[in-house]
Amino acid sequence: MQWWAWLVIIVLVGALLVGGVLALQSRRRRGRVIVDPVRPPSQHGGGDRT
Amino acid sequence: MRTSEVMKRPVVTMAGEDVAQIKDIVYASGGGAVGGFTLAGRGLFAGPLKVGLAWRFVAALGADAVMISDDSVLQPIAEVLAESASTGGSGGDVLGSQVLTDAGTDLGKVVDIVLQVGDTQGGQCDVVGYEVEASEALGSKGTRVLIPLPDTLAASGEHLMVPARAKDFVAQDLAGFGAAILAFRAQLEGTP
Repeated sequence: MQWWAWLVIIVLVGALLVGGVLALQSRRRRGRVIVDPVRPPSQHGGGDRT
Repeated sequence: MRTSEVMKRPVVTMAGEDVAQIKDIVYASGGGAVGGFTLAGRGLFAGPLKVGLAWRFVAALGADAVMISDDSVLQPIAEVLAESASTGGSGGDVLGSQVLTDAGTDLGKVVDIVLQVGDTQGGQCDVVGYEVEASEALGSKGTRVLIPLPDTLAASGEHLMVPARAKDFVAQDLAGFGAAILAFRAQLEGTP
């Protein structure tokens, strides 16, 4: 394969990786309006939602 | 103001330090008010933080920033959620939920929430309305309209219930919405 073909592949893979990371990051930072949040489990009770 | 305007707003201490930004808005299920916020770090690659901000520690919710006295008021997320949690909470996202009247009519899907902050410092941040993508029942399918809410409203994640009379007080924009909320609540209070 020609050297420029490798270059194109590397650039495309890099662009895909950057796009994926940015999409993932955007999803992690997306805001929600949480209603009636789940009460966190108590430290000793393990899974107690009351 | 709408919750979409509050999300991503920076959290700034009175010393001018930019400590976080708003991620999620935690809506206390029983009282129709905001209980607190979860936070994300500042910067493109910063993720969600393990601390949150309870509403009672918010000094001001301004147009450009949420002001706090200092970063010592930030609490572990578990504590912030526990303050707003009810027994067996669902933890659902209101955005995208279906709004139903108590007569069983679908009014549409929630696209935003309208908040009203009390005039005095330490006042409540009330949830006063839903912005919905209207269903056919509202006669303007697909458009965004504002539905007023009662003073206190029980809410859970999947379906949001409103009194059937809310349909008569739907507003098209925030300008006339304050008056619609007052009229709607006055009518509810006047009913035996």
